[in-house]
Amino acid sequence: MERENKIRLSFCKGDAVVISFVIMLAILIGVVFWMKTGTEQGNIVVVYQEGEKIQELSLDKDTEVLIENYYTNKLIVRDKKVAIVESDCPGMDCVHSGAISGKGRSLVCLPNRVEIRIEGEVDSEVDFIVR
Amino acid sequence: MKKSKVNQMTLCAILISMALVLSYMERFIPLQMVIPLPGIKLGLANVVTLMALFFLGQKSAFTILILRCILGSVFGGGISGLAFSMTGGIFAMSVMCIFKKCKGISVYGVSILGAAAHNIGQILVAILFMGSVYVIGYLPYLLIVSVFTGMATGSICRGVFRILKTNTQMIQNEK
Repeated sequence: MERENKIRLSFCKGDAVVISFVIMLAILIGVVFWMKTGTEQGNIVVVYQEGEKIQELSLDKDTEVLIENYYTNKLIVRDKKVAIVESDCPGMDCVHSGAISGKGRSLVCLPNRVEIRIEGEVDSEVDFIVR
Repeated sequence: MKKSKVNQMTLCAILISMALVLSYMERFIPLQMVIPLPGIKLGLANVVTLMALFFLGQKSAFTILILRCILGSVFGGGISGLAFSMTGGIFAMSVMCIFKKCKGISVYGVSILGAAAHNIGQILVAILFMGSVYVIGYLPYLLIVSVFTGMATGSICRGVFRILKTNTQMIQNEK
């Protein structure tokens, strides 16, 4: 069965199809994701560590918080926006993500296993109840 | 051209060590300076996976992949690294297995699909680890990047296959 292994080495039409497929998929996921989130202003900042909620902050009150886990993230809330301004994690992707304010948007620090998510009212958190 | 068992085993071992060295070496390529996204890698080890897939067949390729992931996590990366690389690797391998049979797709296409599947697998693990679906927001960026990294590894594969072509008849002649 391994005898019929043949492969083309030069770039061909199928590859262009593959590339456009991957890019389309990326755009599709992106559009769906951005439409579902961030359209309305949230008012609660929730800090998750390894999937568990550890802290809740109000977006209306300016604060500074240190989140310590594997690394340390410095979080600030100002002008109804939240950002990670300092971090000692290797990639610093969380810092580069900038400030967020829309409901459903999130900042993620993967090395620190921390996610900061903006949510709406507390009661809107329950999507459905399974009995 | 039937190869002996020892021959096959030695080849597997060499490929595993090559994959390990490549995945270690690529940490020194500062790709994150160009694209500031978590988990961006060139995926040089995918060259080995592709090579194994084409020259040794699916079974050996899977063995090489799994052993590489386990050994890789022993040398650095830890358990969470194992979960990420294993899931990503298995995703990439499965997709490449399917699409290498397509006649219209060259090494480039197979490599890009592998890279994309790898990222999808890793995002799925990230969803489990973070306990949140919002990590999907990174997937579009990762997919776009995977087109470029897939092209890069694809062209490396092409070079490698070209050289190996003189020794095997497995590769279709190009015009």
